[in-house]
Amino acid sequence: MDTAVDTLVRPFIDVSEIWVPEGDRLAHAGGNYGDLSEFGSISEQITFGKGEGLPGRAWAQGRPVVLKQFDGSNFCRTEAATAAGLSAAVAIPVFNNAKLMAVLVVLCSDSEERVGAVEVWEEHDGLLMLQDGYYGAAKHFEWVSQHTHFPRGQGLPGGVWASNTPILMRDLGSGYKFIRADSAGKAGLTTGLGIPIPVPGNRTYVLTLLSALGTPIAHRFEIWDCRPSAVGSDHAAVLIDGICAREGPLWSEDNERRIKAWEGQVGKVLGSGLPVVAKGLAGSARYGGFVGLPIYHDGSVARIVAWYC
Amino acid sequence: MAPQKLVVIGTGMASGRLLEHLFEIAPGAYEVTLFNAEPRGCYNRIMLSPVLSGEKSFQEIVTHDEAWYEDHGVTCRFGERVTAVDRDRKVVVGEKGEVAYDKLVIATGSAPFIIPVPGKDLKGVVAYRDLEDTNAMIEAAGNPGSRAVVIGGGLLGLEAAAGLRLRGMEVTVLHLMGHLMERQLDASAGHLLKQDLERRGIEVMLQASTQEITGTGKVEAVKLADGTELKADIVVMAVGIRPETTVAKAAGLEVGRGMVVNAQMESVSDPDIYGLGECVEFDGAVFGLVAPLYDQAKVLAKTLAGEADAFTVRQLSTKLKVTGCDLFSAGDFNDGEGRQDIVFRDPARGVYKRLVIENDRLIGAVFYGDTADSNWFFGLIQTGEDISANRDTLIFGPAYQGGASVDPLAAVAALPDEAEICGCNGVCKGQIVTAIENGASDLAAVRAVTKASGSCGTCTGLVEQVLAVTLGDEFSMPAEQPMCGCTDLTHEDVRRLIKGQELKSMPAVWQAGAWKTPDGCHSCRPALNFYLLADWPVEYKDDPQSRFINERKHANIQKDGTFSVMPRMWGGITTPDELRAIADAADKYKVPTVKVTGGQRIDLLGIKGEDLPAIWADLNAAGMVSGHAYSKGLRTVKTCVGTDHCRFGTQDSTGLGIKLEKALWGSWTPHKVKLAVSGCPRNCAEATCKDVGVICVDSGYQIGVGGAAGMDLKETERLADAKTEEEAIELAIAFIQLYRENARYLDRPYKWLGKVGLPWVKARVVDDLAERRRLVDAFLLSQTIYQKDPWAEHVREQAERYAPIADITLEAAE
Repeated sequence: MDTAVDTLVRPFIDVSEIWVPEGDRLAHAGGNYGDLSEFGSISEQITFGKGEGLPGRAWAQGRPVVLKQFDGSNFCRTEAATAAGLSAAVAIPVFNNAKLMAVLVVLCSDSEERVGAVEVWEEHDGLLMLQDGYYGAAKHFEWVSQHTHFPRGQGLPGGVWASNTPILMRDLGSGYKFIRADSAGKAGLTTGLGIPIPVPGNRTYVLTLLSALGTPIAHRFEIWDCRPSAVGSDHAAVLIDGICAREGPLWSEDNERRIKAWEGQVGKVLGSGLPVVAKGLAGSARYGGFVGLPIYHDGSVARIVAWYC
Repeated sequence: MAPQKLVVIGTGMASGRLLEHLFEIAPGAYEVTLFNAEPRGCYNRIMLSPVLSGEKSFQEIVTHDEAWYEDHGVTCRFGERVTAVDRDRKVVVGEKGEVAYDKLVIATGSAPFIIPVPGKDLKGVVAYRDLEDTNAMIEAAGNPGSRAVVIGGGLLGLEAAAGLRLRGMEVTVLHLMGHLMERQLDASAGHLLKQDLERRGIEVMLQASTQEITGTGKVEAVKLADGTELKADIVVMAVGIRPETTVAKAAGLEVGRGMVVNAQMESVSDPDIYGLGECVEFDGAVFGLVAPLYDQAKVLAKTLAGEADAFTVRQLSTKLKVTGCDLFSAGDFNDGEGRQDIVFRDPARGVYKRLVIENDRLIGAVFYGDTADSNWFFGLIQTGEDISANRDTLIFGPAYQGGASVDPLAAVAALPDEAEICGCNGVCKGQIVTAIENGASDLAAVRAVTKASGSCGTCTGLVEQVLAVTLGDEFSMPAEQPMCGCTDLTHEDVRRLIKGQELKSMPAVWQAGAWKTPDGCHSCRPALNFYLLADWPVEYKDDPQSRFINERKHANIQKDGTFSVMPRMWGGITTPDELRAIADAADKYKVPTVKVTGGQRIDLLGIKGEDLPAIWADLNAAGMVSGHAYSKGLRTVKTCVGTDHCRFGTQDSTGLGIKLEKALWGSWTPHKVKLAVSGCPRNCAEATCKDVGVICVDSGYQIGVGGAAGMDLKETERLADAKTEEEAIELAIAFIQLYRENARYLDRPYKWLGKVGLPWVKARVVDDLAERRRLVDAFLLSQTIYQKDPWAEHVREQAERYAPIADITLEAAE
């Protein structure tokens, strides 16, 4: 299938890490640094106040933040990151109403071959505009995206916004014709995951992860629904969509996949209400790394998106 | 034993499932040849919608690939149409040659129904059945700024609309009926679905009748019966399907709506031929959803394997495949005698749940926004279990069964302090509790301190419950009566809600006001109909079904079942020609009683219902329109002769009366409205006991309001003095519009004035000139829509409604 990828290919995202509030600071609460263990050990030892560094900025500004250049920014680990070959980062805050639960940070390294996109879309006057994004080598696509906007219901970001639901799109380049598709196709982008990012106040943010065949963001994507209106009074989640390089489509009309809180990595996200970053997984999803991101609505975890690198 | 030859025509989901079962229970029993007109094998057709939207790839929905057919020794003849079945020789004739059969399965599915409008064959008009249609739509979405019109607001049409929108098109859905998916949803759930789709940027037009598809060479626009024209680059017809029976008919098999089969799926005409799927008719029914097709496949596999089984029609459930739309419906949810509803609404979460119960059994369910327990409810419908023991908590689902009954106060007590009570003003429970602890002991005080319940009013009940929880027995719930048993809201709450939340349809009010019934009752519907048309004359469409019989019939029903007809006589002035026409009509229709009324009109009493259109037409022909003697609206403007003839007259009272009546007629009001204009203080027109009464004096016009001369007797109060006729008319209109906007339904103006007080009215109608202008403009806007003669309209469009259904007495005599 067209989303199948060689698992040996180096993924677009090199580092994923979690920061959680402890008192008035954000403390390290797990991460997957791959080969970049030195950067990992430095990161584990620092904390961020509100407004400090990238995680602190996402907390203070109450929105996802994209950082494409460490030099001259308030990024605190510039030296270590540069030494590790990292050049860009995106911080995604997880809010439960006005309360910050955690900040997920993903970091990427620059390279001529690395194609993908991590984008943050922000609503202005009834349209979603690109707030910022990191595209690796997909420069033309970056330019097109900067000059695109999405009304409600249109395209991946507009669809996520209108339905307030994560959406996993296939064939971004072929069938997904109109909106940015031509350029997405040329850049080799095939699969897109759109995620609503709730923040305090009335602002709307949508995060999109666009994955290319050669340098995939992930080999496996999953979307889980855990709203009481979908799963009842159980503390559980059902898989509503997913795709895997090894197993193919993960959704099934006939056999619902359901987990309870604390069952597996996704269950850990549900049980703790916090993002989870793990590595070296066993079982069917035996990929090198796992990232699970809870999306809150009405005071509880409504959905979980997970990707496996 | 050598395998028998089985030929299957069609590779839909039913035949795919048949082969799976057959190979499982009778491996090697058949050599299978599979025909398909489409150049491909079996795929999950109901998942085409996510392929259209881009949320699935086609490869993902293929259920049987080449390898599967090869592994099971199936000879595939894909892309080849079957041209004939020769039953005598037992061969199927394909475009590329014949195949002999021992057993034949016809599973040709269904064909889309194409509405027979001009332009239906234009390029760009597509149905929505297969991958080709899907690809045509994806192709159309490839052009920037392109527009799609989807005809049909059923399952398929809405999935197509959502998919095309996600692809980037501007999409309009046209639906002939009053709400979306009317076969699967009731009006309330249909309303929530419409809202949901509109949030996605999809335009939904209800009661939209397609008249023509236009374009040169290709589709360019869709024209509606009301004259609206919608530009379109693609038109998707999704108005329904019908069984595809061409092959069955050509084979000489019995075909009704579909190919007729028995419970073993065997053709009633030929024991070696079987029907399967959407092309068949069983026991008078045809099938469009996948669940019964899978049941049929199972039965047919057993039949072919020589095992006994029988197909039975079972209850169906529906889900819509539009990401983020959670809806479920199952069973029968139409109104019926002996049926009862349990309704739960949560306006804040957009949740609507309705259960239909008959003889202590659940027979239908409609859910929107919360479908968690839908399978449990579906199970109850299928088993027909007695639910009387759990009835009180049934709507809350399985988690609540066996528990104590739910106490709403317990739920409020359990709310944390930060729980939001008033969404409009962002007031939390904690703030309200603090206000109460600081001395606010009733609703008005809490509203004054915190603003909670001060805007749309839906949280009024909740605020009162917080008061009850906090103050205990020091607080007694207010005695104000709710509008009716359907809601806890008062009329005033509902009017505030309609304005505050800009609610423009009845289902919107039911949902936002947490109605406990699915679609209101005889008490609230007429009131809601009035409130909506008064507040949103342009957007809301009058609902005749929500009117009392007199307003539906446009005539007053009398105690013997006949009707009265009263033409309008402007200001009480008539002419010999009008009188002759009235006399002729009275003769022609054998009117037993002709009465001059207290309002200076002539009433014809004792007219048969079926004669109404004809007598209206005759009176219309003489230039007369309905006198609205039956309506909650302007009745009459009574006048005296004024300066034209009277020695005491100070102004042209007749002229002003006619002007007022011509300005006000046709308007709907909370209750009837009567006016009078007297030419001098001697008051021959009895203006001082009317809803609006004008007394002409030398210096101008004294406008009095709020009089009554019925059950209550009351003299008008002076609203204002006007210097000119124009000002007098403006003041009267502004007063009536303020009454229309604020009074509760069935309150005459004097009762309403008793509640709000004359100073409140004066401040708006007399003192605030900008507000007076707004009121007059709002009234005039409403009149552009409602000032029309209902007689002429009914004679033109609905005359047949008045004909008797059957003459039973005659039949009985014969």
